[in-house]
Amino acid sequence: MDLLPTPEQVEIIDSSATFLADQISIARTRELFESGELPAVGAAAWSAAAELGWFALGLPEDRNGIGCGLADEVLLFREIGRRLAPGPFLSTVLAARVASFGGHQGLSDEIAGGRRVGLVIPGSLDAIGPDGSIVGEVQLVDADPDGLVLTVTPTIAALVAVSSLSDVTEVPCVDPTTRLHRAVGTGVGPVSSVASEVDPVELRGHVLAAALLTGIVEWSRDTGSEHAINRVQFDKPIGVNQAIKHPCADMAVQAQLAYSQSLFGALSVDEGRADAEFQALTAHATAAAAAEFATGATLQIMGGMGFTHEHDVHLYVKRMELLSHTFGMPGLWLDRLLELPEPV
Amino acid sequence: MDLRFAAEDVAFRDEARTWLTANAPTERRPKLGRAVRDYDLAWQRKLYEAGWGNVAWPVEYGGRDLPLIQQLIWFEEYARTGMRPIDTRFVGLAHAGPTLMARASDEQKSFHLPKILKGEVVWCQGFSEPEAGSDLASLRTKAVVDGDQLVVTGQKIWTSFADHSDYQELLVRTNNDVPKHKGITWVICDMKSPGIDIRPIRTIEGGADFNEVFYDEVRIPLANVVGDIDNGWSVAMSTLAFERGTAFTISQVQLAASVEELIELARSRRSINGRPVIDDDSLAKRLARARADCAALRSLTYLGISKNANSDQPGPEGSMMKLHYADLAKRVYRLGIEILGTRSLAIPVDEDDTEWIDKHLIAYSTSIGGGTSEIQRNIIGERVLGLPR
Ligand SMILES: Cc1cc2nc3c(=O)[nH]c(=O)nc-3n(C[C@H](O)[C@H](O)[C@H](O)COP(=O)(O)OP(=O)(O)OC[C@H]3O[C@@H](n4cnc5c(N)ncnc54)[C@H](O)[C@@H]3O)c2cc1C
Repeated sequence: MDLLPTPEQVEIIDSSATFLADQISIARTRELFESGELPAVGAAAWSAAAELGWFALGLPEDRNGIGCGLADEVLLFREIGRRLAPGPFLSTVLAARVASFGGHQGLSDEIAGGRRVGLVIPGSLDAIGPDGSIVGEVQLVDADPDGLVLTVTPTIAALVAVSSLSDVTEVPCVDPTTRLHRAVGTGVGPVSSVASEVDPVELRGHVLAAALLTGIVEWSRDTGSEHAINRVQFDKPIGVNQAIKHPCADMAVQAQLAYSQSLFGALSVDEGRADAEFQALTAHATAAAAAEFATGATLQIMGGMGFTHEHDVHLYVKRMELLSHTFGMPGLWLDRLLELPEPV
Repeated sequence: MDLRFAAEDVAFRDEARTWLTANAPTERRPKLGRAVRDYDLAWQRKLYEAGWGNVAWPVEYGGRDLPLIQQLIWFEEYARTGMRPIDTRFVGLAHAGPTLMARASDEQKSFHLPKILKGEVVWCQGFSEPEAGSDLASLRTKAVVDGDQLVVTGQKIWTSFADHSDYQELLVRTNNDVPKHKGITWVICDMKSPGIDIRPIRTIEGGADFNEVFYDEVRIPLANVVGDIDNGWSVAMSTLAFERGTAFTISQVQLAASVEELIELARSRRSINGRPVIDDDSLAKRLARARADCAALRSLTYLGISKNANSDQPGPEGSMMKLHYADLAKRVYRLGIEILGTRSLAIPVDEDDTEWIDKHLIAYSTSIGGGTSEIQRNIIGERVLGLPR
């Protein structure tokens, strides 16, 4: 048992942080979405991420991937979350798996090479059929109208062509860096699909969403604490006051919990533990609760600046909402957590 | 990174489990009186004789000096027996003992450490005073040197197990002319010394685990001072370096087990409206949340142990675990009361239900004893995040 990153894993953290700071900075993200480009990630940066192997990191080598574990992907996604990088990283990484395990290696290679795949958020649980097709009202996150979207349920994950859907309408998303469509499924069969026994795509999704949220919690902790140290009122840094200091401490605890449980969830999936589903859902539920708390706490610590468009905190609040409503929502995960057998 | 335990660790878990299953006491621990001490010390003797006296202590002091991972495994297995995480053995094994190892003279060590390990003595901690709680360094219990003795006069409070104790790690003020942290001395006090008066304090759940202790010109040999006169603050703090987050595992595992029992209880009991308690969606969600929170606390424990296994300085996870555990324990045991509903009013309902009421009441102490949650938040804010004092 060891939850410390290896030197190779530290390298993943450092190099991804450097790349993100360089190529997908929040300043650049703002430029893009303010000029109406959604998702707010430049084509060049996206291709560069593909070239770095980000979309094939966790794919086995015999599937043309890099062969790293889900825990390695957690470390990458934590950095993506921390730096608020927009774009369908989560669904594209999962989609490359679905295509490969679904028997479409050529498509998988294309996706790993940078073909974006959006994510389906069903309006109701029965909007996704048992074969992964879309049969009801859905929302599409970061979908290209001529591209593919990913459906995920506890039993199956599938790729569906957006062109097969009806009433596809773009609508503003609460997260201004994200493109959102409404659409209605027509039951056209998926392009590729994989059952969860073959590859637990849903669980991987929960763990990676937890990792993104962990990055958000850590950004909030660091941003809130820094302001608490630097902002002076009544001749003292505001951080001397426990009404400020204590939520900062709570953010530190929440960040550590979200991080450790994301790793625990990832390793449970990697190692095929009997309680992998429990641990992965717990990771998402833990990180979502932590991020809700931490973004709110930091917004409050910022004072009036926290309420502005200019400060980044609102972007993190909104991303948190998106990620807390991905692959279901907290109430649903909790219902499942109660029904599952006791963790081992 | 890896969640799996190495083959030798798995074998170790088997060994620990087998021994504990065969040897853990089956009769309930008494609640009051001398029987409490007898029960705890008998258990310690049994552990010692089988080589389990203390898995964390160095071998030179009779411990097992297990690697942190195996300590974790031992405490996970120990927790399954349902034995309390803290009993009258606690201060000797986990606090005074490690302090002696770090700072005492060879003579003091060779006299006291074996007695602790063999289950011959009980120790208590005389730190808190009526006027010195969170601000421990403001303590006033006075000690003056008279020949080769210290003469101690004053009062301690909240001293757990003082009435069962042979020895006490006692903090006294030996100097009033220097800053408050600099005039404190750490001394071994024989609890049978003349001039000591112990008065039990009844606690919220009806027990009497802690006490007031009065000192009226109590004479303690200077040879019992650990470290130097006036240097006791640094001696008291040295124990912290020993605590590396493994012993805490017992509380964490037992809390998770309690959540599982509460889920069962909510499934088997009916509410006042005749429906199974678990049908209350708000309660069900909070039980699920508690389950998730216990799992996350375990992952935090594992992360802390992974870090500490690779460094000499314990990480901040210790304060974080304590703080989070306290919040969680209070939340979990309050759920027990909600599940029992109106039945929670009568004591005793039946033996098992009474236990839930006790656990709920005792949980209030988790955010007070051993440094309050407010103080833990200060520590994390200031030492981990660098916020101003
Ligand atoms: C079950 C139990 C067992 C114990 N066993 C022992 C023992 O064996 N030996 C021993 O010496 N002591 C023992 N204690 C005492 C324990 O260490 C003290 O109760 C604790 O340190 C708090 O001190 P206090 O009770 O004086 O509260 P105070 O320090 O007076 O605190 C009162 C309230 O004020 C808050 N507060 C104080 N200072 C600050 C601050 N700077 N910022 C924010 N809030 C603050 C506290 O958090 C608390 O909520 C035990 C306590 C309990 C509950």
